[in-house]
Amino acid sequence: MEIWRLPISASQRGKLISAGYTSLSSLSSISSSDLARELNVSESEAMNILKVASHSRGSETSNASCSIVEGAQSAWDMLHDEESLMHITTSSADLDNILGGGIHCKEVTEIGGVPGIGKTQLGIQIAVNVQIPNDFGGLGGNSIYIDTEGSFMVERAFQIAEACIEDMSEYNRFLRKDFQECKIKMQPQDILENIFYFRICSYTEQIALINYLDKFLSEHKDVKVIVVDSVTFHFRQDFDDMALRTRVLSGMALKLMNLAKRFSLAVVLLNQVTTKHTEASFQLALALGDSWSHTCTNRIVLYWNGNERYAYIDKSPSLRSA
Amino acid sequence: MTPQSLLQLTSQKCTTGCPILDRLLYGGIPCDSITEIVAESGSGKTQICLQLSLHAQLPVSHGGLAASSLYLHTEFPFPFRRLHQLCLSFRSSNAHHFPVNDNPCDRIFVQSVHTADHLLEIMSKTDPFIENSKNQVPVRLIVIDSIAALFRSDFDNTPVELKRRSSLFFKISSKLKALAKRFNLAVLVTNQVVDLVGPNEGINGLRIGNLVCLHTSGRRVCPALGLAWANCVNSRLFLSRNEEVIREENEKSNGQSCDFVKKKMRKLYVVFAPHLPETSCEFEITREGLFGVER
Repeated sequence: MEIWRLPISASQRGKLISAGYTSLSSLSSISSSDLARELNVSESEAMNILKVASHSRGSETSNASCSIVEGAQSAWDMLHDEESLMHITTSSADLDNILGGGIHCKEVTEIGGVPGIGKTQLGIQIAVNVQIPNDFGGLGGNSIYIDTEGSFMVERAFQIAEACIEDMSEYNRFLRKDFQECKIKMQPQDILENIFYFRICSYTEQIALINYLDKFLSEHKDVKVIVVDSVTFHFRQDFDDMALRTRVLSGMALKLMNLAKRFSLAVVLLNQVTTKHTEASFQLALALGDSWSHTCTNRIVLYWNGNERYAYIDKSPSLRSA
Repeated sequence: MTPQSLLQLTSQKCTTGCPILDRLLYGGIPCDSITEIVAESGSGKTQICLQLSLHAQLPVSHGGLAASSLYLHTEFPFPFRRLHQLCLSFRSSNAHHFPVNDNPCDRIFVQSVHTADHLLEIMSKTDPFIENSKNQVPVRLIVIDSIAALFRSDFDNTPVELKRRSSLFFKISSKLKALAKRFNLAVLVTNQVVDLVGPNEGINGLRIGNLVCLHTSGRRVCPALGLAWANCVNSRLFLSRNEEVIREENEKSNGQSCDFVKKKMRKLYVVFAPHLPETSCEFEITREGLFGVER
């Protein structure tokens, strides 16, 4: 429903269009005082316009013209949703801080770094941390771990699970002395059972698995995070057709984003680094090229500085560079 | 596709033959993953490879894999005599596991490899080979000694060639990992080192793994084949050797004096591994093999 079809005076119409309101839905969530300010008209006039707009909108409900696309929400609703989303802690207070609380759900986070810096460790930690029960500030969900390189070691996951439980019981002791019922009933074996582990050996398997995840997730509704370690390994062999590689990769990325939004879970992709030949020097960049860097929502780069490991937020729509 | 149950997925390890080294490695070389040993020449890479191929034949209760091994060597000649020597001492210390006329060397299959393409060819033939070996003593260990030799001469220093080289790394590594997963093999690969010139750590100022810098024979080195290959292996171990001057007390007839003796100090470091912390230990090479030393 366009503005020019509204039964209002031509001057009002002109003001609306020049202020940027070209369709009815843009008028749907604005108050009359704001509209009056924007259009430089009196408030009663603005109220009139809005009334006319809602009237014509109301008479066309059969067209579902309230939202242009079904399922579109107003930004206010979305902000509300986002604030209520929980984060998955990474077990490192500093990393959580720069991430704004932890790994966000409904988003794709990419973590990259040189070999040996701890990407797999971080992946396993996240897969364990997502299982922290709600009482302790976690999500209490399960996790899917997709291993493409074979670096997942069960004994290490067991160690991390044990440490997580120990942490929780310490927290229990310090802060919840009177809540005796909130005892930890989890055992490391339970934590391991809640990690759905897939091992894949080729890129076709990788794509097939991600396609299958749709069905898997509708059966297992309590999965809250998907960790892929690492997403690039099988794509770095020679692909004769680079365009095919880009297509396949973007298709995969789109599916993962789709899964993240639909099932309200977090997707964590671990990536490798490679050297980029720029002019005469070599620079480190995350693998898979520039087209891939557009597909993820957040990017974190892990690197060494002296004897310490540092994390750096490379790209994020909501977090500062840190 | 169903997820694998983690509780049933225990990784088997192949013992190195020395309890001190096994303790450092949390059991030995893990199966279903690629372990890389980086060292300069003469540090003991081949010794460890030979030792592992022998110890893989031990029964599982003793830390072995009850398996034969496939040894792909690229640098000639294959040390048959040393293998024989090690074999004798292996047999004498583990006599109760093997029947009298048995020769553990029979269960080490040796193949020489000339180029990277040759390696790919061999790997496509390895599939049926391992499949067939399941009837007798299954192959559970593949050793490639050394992978660096295949790549250091054939490729020019142009971006196109380097790209081809990198994609070959990933191809080989992915085939090895697929084999490792399918037959639950342990894969051991050895690599050489290159010298580091300049103030930075690593190639192009890049540090990989736990150690700030790798030192051997008083020089700063870093593993050959670069960053791409480092992404292909699961764990990396570094053997270093250094000449140290140690004070030794000597009692001589004209009173006590001390001699300064040069000793070879050999150390094994864990550069990176998904299941190992940053540790190191000293070892020595004797006629019987490579053994850790507890100080």
